[in-house]
Amino acid sequence: MKDPVPSVSAAQRLSLSRSPGHWTGRFTAMACPCEILIEAAQETLAARILETAAECAWRIEKKFSRYRRESVVQRINESAGQPIEVDDETANLLDFAATLTRLSERRFDITTGVLRKAWTFDGSDRVPSQDQLDALLKCVGWHKVLWRRPTLVLQPGMQIDFGGIGKEYAVDEAARLVEDLAPGLSCLINFGGDVAVRNPRRDGAPWRVGVEAADNAGAAVRLVHLQRGALATSGDSRRFVLREGRRYSHILDARTGWPVSDAPRSVTVAADTCTQAGTLTTLATLHGAKAEAFLKKSGAQYWLH
Amino acid sequence: MKAIWLAAAALALTGCANVEPWQRDVLARPEMSPDAAPLDGAIDDHIYFSKEASSGGRGFGGGGCGCN
Amino acid sequence: MSDKENLNAALAAATCALLGATNTAPVQASEADRWSFDTALLYYGESDDRVKDTSAAISATRDFSDERKLGLTLTADTLTGASASGAIAQDGPQTFTSPSGRAVYSTAAGEVPLDDTFKDTRFALNASWTQPLARLYTVSAGLGFSTEYDYTHIGANLLLARDFNKRNTTLSAGVSWSQDGIDPVGGAPLPLSQMLDVGNGANKAGSESKDVLDLLVGLTQVLDRTTILRLNYSFSDSSGYLNDPYKILSVVDPLTGDTIVRVPASGLQGPTGVYRFESRPDARAKHSLYAEVKHAFGAPVLTTAYRFMSDDWGIDSHTAEVKLRWPIGAASYIEPQLRYYAQTEADFYRVSLANGEPLPQYASADFRLGNFDAVTAGLKFGRSTSSGSEWSARLEYYQQSGDAPRDQIIGNQARRELYPDLKAVIAQFSYRFRL
Repeated sequence: MKDPVPSVSAAQRLSLSRSPGHWTGRFTAMACPCEILIEAAQETLAARILETAAECAWRIEKKFSRYRRESVVQRINESAGQPIEVDDETANLLDFAATLTRLSERRFDITTGVLRKAWTFDGSDRVPSQDQLDALLKCVGWHKVLWRRPTLVLQPGMQIDFGGIGKEYAVDEAARLVEDLAPGLSCLINFGGDVAVRNPRRDGAPWRVGVEAADNAGAAVRLVHLQRGALATSGDSRRFVLREGRRYSHILDARTGWPVSDAPRSVTVAADTCTQAGTLTTLATLHGAKAEAFLKKSGAQYWLH
Repeated sequence: MKAIWLAAAALALTGCANVEPWQRDVLARPEMSPDAAPLDGAIDDHIYFSKEASSGGRGFGGGGCGCN
Repeated sequence: MSDKENLNAALAAATCALLGATNTAPVQASEADRWSFDTALLYYGESDDRVKDTSAAISATRDFSDERKLGLTLTADTLTGASASGAIAQDGPQTFTSPSGRAVYSTAAGEVPLDDTFKDTRFALNASWTQPLARLYTVSAGLGFSTEYDYTHIGANLLLARDFNKRNTTLSAGVSWSQDGIDPVGGAPLPLSQMLDVGNGANKAGSESKDVLDLLVGLTQVLDRTTILRLNYSFSDSSGYLNDPYKILSVVDPLTGDTIVRVPASGLQGPTGVYRFESRPDARAKHSLYAEVKHAFGAPVLTTAYRFMSDDWGIDSHTAEVKLRWPIGAASYIEPQLRYYAQTEADFYRVSLANGEPLPQYASADFRLGNFDAVTAGLKFGRSTSSGSEWSARLEYYQQSGDAPRDQIIGNQARRELYPDLKAVIAQFSYRFRL
């Protein structure tokens, strides 16, 4: 994540191998393992698909990571109250984030990032003082931002990040680019557990996706058959705070500055696009103990753990 | 017997068929699988093992029964 | 508008604005079945109150990701009824000591002697694990255990398969080993020893065992889009105690063919004729070749199979099987099944032993080692339910007809029934479901 990925060496970071009935391509982006499964196709086409998906993931990572020197997000976060003009793609993401804030009744907010100065989600019981949180909360809230497309003005000290949106967006973007390259071909795009499939496989078989168990990171406990559409999972298997027997997820409620408590350890949602699925998992988790009720109401297919 | 076996193997390996993965719609049907009815097979093997002098063939020789 | 519609509509609109107008189709996802179960109830009944077997089997399969698979099968069966002892029919009634050595049983004049003291319950458990090994290899390992009153079995097997030629060809090789312990009711009789009076166990030893080693090489070949061929060669080597401890031979007069009459010791019950326990070699090597073709012509599927078996006991057998699975509507099918089996007799098969002649090293009058053919005709009906379960019922009729070797028939034996037909009905009900 911290060392930039020069595109010249990109090919070396890709691996493509033949698996039973399909190709498997692998690379790393956005600090997680990424995987592209391609149903029976020529090797040259499979290689181009893999390259396209990886380039897309790396481009989005480079552009929107808050850790990257040259990223748009860093430029915005360092603007210190100065107006910033953003490109269309960034503007679309900002619009989308604003909608989520509205739909979540301000539980979700892309400006909660500053609170991470106080919260370290390392499984310990370290909890910041309320004074500390109150001070930081002054810099949280989309309503404090001046956003008139394409110009964004943050208050000094405010920061944004696209956590909870960026990766899912990257999956959908990659799926779109792959579709343009090989229309009708069934490919499974998996960026760290967020998955999209545009077309069903020609042999009629579903893609089998293992959904990770929250308390057993790495081992699939549930197997979901995906013909087409998307799956997204939000979980706190590795990132949480335990305090007085309660488990707080790493997802922060923008209204209080506190992590959500009593949320399901992992939420997997199936939806038409990965962005929709990811949004639903985030919104559900933000509802804490009422996550399941929220998901039921949404009508989406979901799996809780 | 070994000659028959080797001839059959050679015939197969020269690639008399080239069915691509996406042409396996029929072969993928459950009833086309060699193990379409595993319990039926096991029950038949067990009955014939106890009534006849031959056993196995489809898989390992069956048996494990005092009935023969 | 409900909250749900509000949320979904707002989310869909926002997503559309973000991703542009995508023509994604609605999601199609379902949780994969974790366990699938195959269950069966079986009734096997022979005519004339001979063997009846009722059994229940449940097989569970758990699919894991990466094509790893666990299989467990549990079978229980109960066997009752009479089976042919190997002794031949006489003009008068005959009395035999039962295998336990504690009682006698009798056979009416002119009837083929049946030992009706059988009653056994068997439990068997098999477990298997299958998983890919490297890209084109699949390995499968299994363990088996079974127990019944006079018999225990443990076995293990390993099978390795490799795909070639875009998975149109699969070659497999496997090995299976088992060790069985035989602890016959009343003890294992010394081979060719004479049946003794009730209470006299002088010819009975303790328990025995046998080992079986099986080797298998197989080829599965896709012939075209609708045809698949399977060929197996297997070798099976058994060693140890291979007798049936309950089978006997009648000792007869070399001219009349009548069983030599014997009088039990005074005050004791016992056999009324001279009978000797069978003696089989303590090793047996079998070779079999199996070929199976499955062909789908449209929806119906035809399965034909042929097996040739030959062993060093002198038995050769041919088995041919045909099944035609014919769909009826979208959810049901019928499947007529036909099987033909024929075997030659073992070198040491004897109708009876002639009195006064030297005893052969090996002798058995077990019909299963004789010369016979058998036909099974059956019909299976299956139906799948809307929930994805499937039930099926199968009814079969099995008939064996054998001949005693002509050159072994002595005197009066020619006018008596020596090799009665065996007729049996097999009824099976199966149900398959997933959790």
